[in-house]
Amino acid sequence: MTTPAVRNPPLSAATGGEATTPAQELSDLSVMIGGQGGDGTLTVSDLLGRYFRKRGLYVYTSRNVLSRIRGGHADASIRASRDPIASVKSQVDVLVAFDNEAIEIGKAELAPHGFVLYDSTTFHSELPNSAGFPFATLVGGPLGQPIFKNTAAYGALSVLFGFDPVQTRLVIEERFKRRSPEALEKNLKALEIGRKVALEDPRVGQRFSVAEGDARDLILTTGNQAVALGFVVGGGRFFAGYPITPATEIMEYLQRYLPAFGGIVRQAEDELAAINMVIGASYTGSRVMTSTSGPGLSLMTEGIGHAGTAELPIVVADCQRVGPSTGEPTRNEQSDLSHLANLGHGEYPRFILAPATPEDAFDLTVEALNLAERWRLPVILLLDQALCQNTATCRRFELSNVRVDRGKRLGGDAAQGLAQYKVYQFTDDGVSPFAPPGTPGLWSEVTGNEHDEWGHVSVNPVNRVRMMQKRMEKMVRARNELPPCRLFGPSEARIGFVGFGNTSGPILEAMRILESRGIGTRYLQARTLYPVPVHEIEPFLAGLDVCYVVEHNYTGQLARLLRETMPAQHAKLRSTLKYDGTSFRAPEIVAAATGGA
Amino acid sequence: MVQSAKPVPPIWCPGCGDFGVLAAVKKAAANQKISVHDLVLVGGIGCSGSIHNFLEVNGIHALHGRLLAQAVGVKLANPSLTVVAAGGDGDGYAIGMGHFIHAFKKNASILYIVMNNETYGLTKGQASPTSQLGFEGNVEPPFHAMLTALSIPAPNFIARTFSGDPKTMTAVLEEALRFNREGRGFAFVEDLSPCVTYNDTYKLWREKVLDVSKLPGYDPTDRKTMFRLCLETIEQGRIPIGVMHRPKEPGHDGLEAKLVGDRPGPARADIALAPNLASYQKLLSGLT
Repeated sequence: MTTPAVRNPPLSAATGGEATTPAQELSDLSVMIGGQGGDGTLTVSDLLGRYFRKRGLYVYTSRNVLSRIRGGHADASIRASRDPIASVKSQVDVLVAFDNEAIEIGKAELAPHGFVLYDSTTFHSELPNSAGFPFATLVGGPLGQPIFKNTAAYGALSVLFGFDPVQTRLVIEERFKRRSPEALEKNLKALEIGRKVALEDPRVGQRFSVAEGDARDLILTTGNQAVALGFVVGGGRFFAGYPITPATEIMEYLQRYLPAFGGIVRQAEDELAAINMVIGASYTGSRVMTSTSGPGLSLMTEGIGHAGTAELPIVVADCQRVGPSTGEPTRNEQSDLSHLANLGHGEYPRFILAPATPEDAFDLTVEALNLAERWRLPVILLLDQALCQNTATCRRFELSNVRVDRGKRLGGDAAQGLAQYKVYQFTDDGVSPFAPPGTPGLWSEVTGNEHDEWGHVSVNPVNRVRMMQKRMEKMVRARNELPPCRLFGPSEARIGFVGFGNTSGPILEAMRILESRGIGTRYLQARTLYPVPVHEIEPFLAGLDVCYVVEHNYTGQLARLLRETMPAQHAKLRSTLKYDGTSFRAPEIVAAATGGA
Repeated sequence: MVQSAKPVPPIWCPGCGDFGVLAAVKKAAANQKISVHDLVLVGGIGCSGSIHNFLEVNGIHALHGRLLAQAVGVKLANPSLTVVAAGGDGDGYAIGMGHFIHAFKKNASILYIVMNNETYGLTKGQASPTSQLGFEGNVEPPFHAMLTALSIPAPNFIARTFSGDPKTMTAVLEEALRFNREGRGFAFVEDLSPCVTYNDTYKLWREKVLDVSKLPGYDPTDRKTMFRLCLETIEQGRIPIGVMHRPKEPGHDGLEAKLVGDRPGPARADIALAPNLASYQKLLSGLT
């Protein structure tokens, strides 16, 4: 269908700008930009995102990259909508291709009205509804480097979508003003080159027009950035980690943010060191966190158990990816839940919190720090690749909701009011008051050995039972302090969804589609996954005829937890599963819920 | 004084070399006038790693092989604390080897004492990374920590002592603690600490130890010379002890100083919302 060929664009083509058909208005659109890694596909997505945000639209971007620095197919997708969306659109309206492979991959998702804009420097496509321009050579001559082809493609897109020229240019200025004046100038020139060839080509014209939205005063961010900011604001001051996709950005953001607040970020020699550095720092009373993904989590497992029995507060952000082993580092999955619920050898308490959106990730990171210190145990922040790395519009992060609860932390003058200091003192709620080393007049022993109240090694059976109960009952006593689930949809609906993490966007969108067909549904977004909030989920399930448990794994890990803890609801639960590495599209959930899967 | 965790009697066999280390640590800390509440002792897993239970001290009983990572975490989060990590040769040179190498590179101002008895005593006498050829069927050549330590170009304090000479050991530990407390970086002291039950080497080691400071050309500021003296001593069938490295220029090279400077560090930062509110607002206003 396609043949490699160098084609010259009809630069002389009259005045241009006249669409062959009237512009089609889009209020929910999707652009996919594909090429080789290093082609600058993400830049095009970023520029479009900035423009759409200026037009008051909700934006969601995702990327499909291989785990390599350069080369290999890479694509970025951007969706913009007047409605709140946080998911990938199932069809692509415009495909931008920097090579033929991008067309071969992208055309499967192209809408019937979809248009393909491609760089014809090295190939030619016979696809209908397409236009090719040799962006690389067009910019390579005047600007000296072909790399500006992505900005030229943005210029051509601005014609295709009928963007406002002033705003289009402003986006370039905002994006590149922090780089060198030369970079800004060259990108502005590339923009004009792209606009000019598109304006002069009758194949392009203004095919689409983009509706304006009213989504103002929102931010465009990722779950990883939200976790990093939540950590700072929640009083986190010590972070140690090891680079691993898709968690690395948390460490990188913190390297940028934390030093200004007197905090420390260390890239450790491995995950074993990272978790143990964090444990050491926790003993000093600092609020601490590490972030990782599947393989790193496996290495950290012994350390997390140590923190659980030594009663040292830590937060571990698990950015799930396709596993096991190296799996698919850049792809989305939610398959660590069963592992985390039963994490490690032996038994110890832990809380697992799962945010669904960046703003939820910000709030729950703060809450994780509070809960870890209040209850003196490990708290897992369960994230997934799509939440971690896809960008989404969301409300500004609210400081008014932030509180710093230091639990039973004793002050520097603790010794004055105490006759004795037992670091593992038995108390009504199982939490012992804590005074960090350096508190004048007292000291403490913490250990992963079973211990008595003083922290001395003990194998006394009576003590063992009391200590186990002290620790394990935290999961019962804390129940009402754990982040509550969120409920959506009319209470009278008899069809329900349960999910966590990034499935929230597609589920909410599916509910709107179903509602438009007269099918009312409810959705429980679980934010605490462990201990399972039976007191919230059971009444929800009780009001339903059927509940679809939506998750990204093969075995239905959340559904299994629900069946185990709420056996009476067993028959109502249906698993809606996806484990191909990509996130749910709303129509897939609609199909599952209407039996059309 | 608040009643805090009281030391318990050591679990060690009578005559164990670790008693020498316990006494020397106690004396060196007292001589350096380190307050109990400012001293943190991180113990590894093994006989030697239980040392923190036998002292009035803040103690962490770490995971096997992870004591250095935990000790570095303590020091970075609160640089005002004096941090000592203590464990055995299996803990440090087998399961913990990755952290051992990186501790020199990191150069946080902590003291690491390895009580080397050339065996896994607590699990009843298996060969360890430092075991001699033939010990319990060992066919792997012994690991020499001094040679490895000297091969890493970082401004560390490196020394080796012998439990049969507690006086020298106390002096070396005191110098190491002083080095730490001046914020100069990582101090590593390997003590030859015989296991009287599974590898009683007192007599042999007493005959074989050689104080390298007695050798012609001894210069602990010169890495190359010290590596050669160490290697030659080993090749002659002797056991080198003494101060192996001491950086030439006094300076503040500790990792903690590079990271926090004059600030109090993470543990003592004020994390209440009110005093930070303006900075947080500024940080969040950067999002668009």
